[in-house]
Amino acid sequence: MNGNEDFRDQNALAIKVRFLGDLPAVVGGRDTTVSLPQGSRVRDLVTSLCERYGDGFRHRVVSQSGALHHDILIFLNGENIDEIGELAARLEGNPDMEIIMLPAFEGG
Amino acid sequence: MATTATRWVPTTCGMCYVGCGVRVRLEDGVVRSIEGDPNHPQNRGNMCAKGKAGVMSLYNPRRVQAPLKRTNPNKGLRVDPAWQEISWEEALSTIAAKLQEIHDDPKKLYVQSWESSGDLHTWLLNLGSAFGSPHLNNNASPTCGKVIHPVEFFSGGGFHQQPDLHYCQYLILVGTQFGIATRGAFNHMLRDMADARARGMKLVAIDPIGAFAASKANEWVPIRPGTDTALALSMLHVLLNELGIYDAEYLKHHTNAPYLVGPDGRYVREAGSGKPLIFDAADDQVKRHDDPTLRDPALTGGGQGGRPTFELLREHVAQYPPERTEEITTIPAKTLRRIAREFGEAASIGSTIRIDGVELPYRPVCVDWAKGSQGHKHGFHQCWPLKLLNIVVGAVNVPGGILSTAAAGKKPHRWWPEGGTDGMLEKGGNVMPVPHPKAFPGRTPTKPIRLDLAELFPLAPHFGTLLPITAQNGERYGLSYGMTVMLHSPVNSLFSSFGDHKMVESFYRSIPFIAGFAVEINETNLFDDIILPFPHYLERFDFTTGTGTRSIPICGMDDYYWTVRHPAVELPKGIRHPQEVIMEIADRVGILSDLYRLINHAFRLKEPYALQPGQRYSAPALMDVMTRCWFGEERGLPWFQENGVIRLSRDVEEAYIGRSLHARIPIYLEHFLDRGEELREVTSQMGLEWDLSDYKPLSEWMPCPSYDALRKGQYDFIAVHYKLPYVYGAFANENPWINELCESIPYAYSVLVNADAARAKGIQEGDVVWLETPAAKMTVKVTLTQCIHPEVVGIAGHFGHWSPGMPIAQGKGVNFNSLLPTDMEHIDKISTALDHCVPVKLSHTPPRGYIKPYFGP
Repeated sequence: MNGNEDFRDQNALAIKVRFLGDLPAVVGGRDTTVSLPQGSRVRDLVTSLCERYGDGFRHRVVSQSGALHHDILIFLNGENIDEIGELAARLEGNPDMEIIMLPAFEGG
Repeated sequence: MATTATRWVPTTCGMCYVGCGVRVRLEDGVVRSIEGDPNHPQNRGNMCAKGKAGVMSLYNPRRVQAPLKRTNPNKGLRVDPAWQEISWEEALSTIAAKLQEIHDDPKKLYVQSWESSGDLHTWLLNLGSAFGSPHLNNNASPTCGKVIHPVEFFSGGGFHQQPDLHYCQYLILVGTQFGIATRGAFNHMLRDMADARARGMKLVAIDPIGAFAASKANEWVPIRPGTDTALALSMLHVLLNELGIYDAEYLKHHTNAPYLVGPDGRYVREAGSGKPLIFDAADDQVKRHDDPTLRDPALTGGGQGGRPTFELLREHVAQYPPERTEEITTIPAKTLRRIAREFGEAASIGSTIRIDGVELPYRPVCVDWAKGSQGHKHGFHQCWPLKLLNIVVGAVNVPGGILSTAAAGKKPHRWWPEGGTDGMLEKGGNVMPVPHPKAFPGRTPTKPIRLDLAELFPLAPHFGTLLPITAQNGERYGLSYGMTVMLHSPVNSLFSSFGDHKMVESFYRSIPFIAGFAVEINETNLFDDIILPFPHYLERFDFTTGTGTRSIPICGMDDYYWTVRHPAVELPKGIRHPQEVIMEIADRVGILSDLYRLINHAFRLKEPYALQPGQRYSAPALMDVMTRCWFGEERGLPWFQENGVIRLSRDVEEAYIGRSLHARIPIYLEHFLDRGEELREVTSQMGLEWDLSDYKPLSEWMPCPSYDALRKGQYDFIAVHYKLPYVYGAFANENPWINELCESIPYAYSVLVNADAARAKGIQEGDVVWLETPAAKMTVKVTLTQCIHPEVVGIAGHFGHWSPGMPIAQGKGVNFNSLLPTDMEHIDKISTALDHCVPVKLSHTPPRGYIKPYFGP
């Protein structure tokens, strides 16, 4: 599944994405909108964003094994996706999504 | 005669990062004394000098009591800011306006958040994250934690390490004074250490300085600074090759020792799945590492063109016979062999112990290390083979061995480390769901966007040390912007978080607007445009009260606990609670709901306790909602105000996770090869010369610049830093009781030099001489001792203040960090640690080009 802003299907999902933490510096902005077909999942959205923003974004969000990096937090309509199916969570309606790169918590 | 109203308040100390339980005695509302809380599991009633002196910091007449702004636009180490008191409204509106100016380019915000005794640390970090900045510096020092945290997360599962003093019988401390002068869970460990020594545990201190730990040890072994790698590799050689002592069963089933490695240094992997392969000696088959039929993973031999990593390790360490290591470390070969043998024999490999009906491996030996080993140009590889010593004898997270702090728990909620890539330990445990510094599997390097060059350090935990370096020449790394706004905690980062002060001065001067909290006006505050007053810990509310609960609690079977810091005395009228200040700034910048989302996540606040957008919370209301969320409706803030602490017992499974962890830990760092190759490509594209010699799966000893400087005769000594048990960083140096202690002890404000080495240079006890490093020149007072390596100068604490706001501390002692050259040549390319072994000259003659740098001796 390949989502982008040119997706014209009237049934498409329009997903508002906000970036926090490290990510505004990586993508060059705080917000964007992504269109994806109905039935898409968070994984599809992440894939779409990786294609849009390239390796700089991909390497910060997704590990080489394809999992989210441990310091990436995704909220879908205010809910942490860890509690609603992780990357397989469904995108329904026209959801709001926040992708946050959390700061390392403490050092010494 | 008037009667005196006396009351006791149970709360939490804040004089260091631990957070001991205290009882504060007040008479007519005035604090008269601070006692240890005997019911508190952290300190069991014990107090240290720092904690007892807290009352003097509370009543410091020079505390900042209202917001201030500078009226002198010029900034510098010796420049008077010409402070003017202003209203909170002016202070907050100014800060908010400056943040709004960079709203569309939030990476220009720099947050220096370390304040680990309370909540500000978390709130300030998350304010920066909600704003959208990547420049969130969460650590205090240019060495501390740089290696221990990433190593511990992939080889233990927790934040830090702690010898199991309840069962340990042979403990080697390398460059650390654990349980005697420093470290997490301090007051608890003091008693455990004393008990262990009384029980007969042998304590060996390997350290350039025979300081507090050495004074308690059975044996002090002086070592040349920066040579720990050679020490550890040589001990591994004696164990694995000369004595054949290792825990084969542990290595086979709980580490990557049997993983097959091909000629290219990478794992031999199964076609299709890509999973690493192991040779099973039980049926002579090569299998996936997670094959359920795997019975006897081979540590020797091989298959499919690969050899087990264990075989590679044994061959590798054979390059470090003790005779070679003697030349590097100055430790006699026979001493090293004996210690290695004693360590191996004491490990009692194969023995078990029954605790609460559960049979566990019993490995009563540890090698422990911390700051001293980390602070080197090749800091990662100074430390990692020390951890390997524990791993090869199976003494990891089992009774008597090295334990990983805060790795797992069941109360007040469950947290546990998890495996991941290649079956290896990947995700460390943490009571708060916040990311750990991490070195496995690491990140893929990319061209930097961040000024701290995080992208070029794919295995490092934090990166702040790089900022003064890149601020000099960001263009060199393709970075054409600078920081515009800095927000900081009350910590004196100029003194403690970087090296060469001139570099830090240049960095801070490059930032147009700086606002920070202050207890008293320290040297960092001299660069502020706005100062916000910060409450003393006896005036504060904090849900996180230090590392004692959050990241470095007591290990083993002793109780875990939670507590809340709450005021013993009223907050002065001009001061506000920091959580409320951060909320106010976030609201004015329009990011309050984002901040709440992050705070809800960090503090595990679920409905109906989650902070709600549009609402504002007082500090006590926050404490109440957090405590009720974690501990139930009946244990809100009033319960903690009355009872002080909740004890949380631990069972054997939580205390000793070693053999039940469903993940392997490494002895061979295969992923270093790929991260190094990726970094080579990125730095090559950028036209950077980048030292990639540390990206090796097996450690090698590589010298620090100071080692070569002495060999070439350019300098006389190597200066190293050591800690005093009554001093925590640069914190509380202005405290008159702490100062009195330091003045009464001949070495706190002077430098230690070996008596024979000093006299050979004509230097006598008490002489004031010139000390010169590549970064600084100053006068110091000399204390002679036999308890220091003859090539070493020992410098304690973080002294040398000159701020007019700290008249008691002014001009006393030395700030060690200011001596350190701060450039890429002195940065560990794995961890970002700044090299802390600095070459020095001592002389009665003033060095050429000396310019008095600032107030002081």
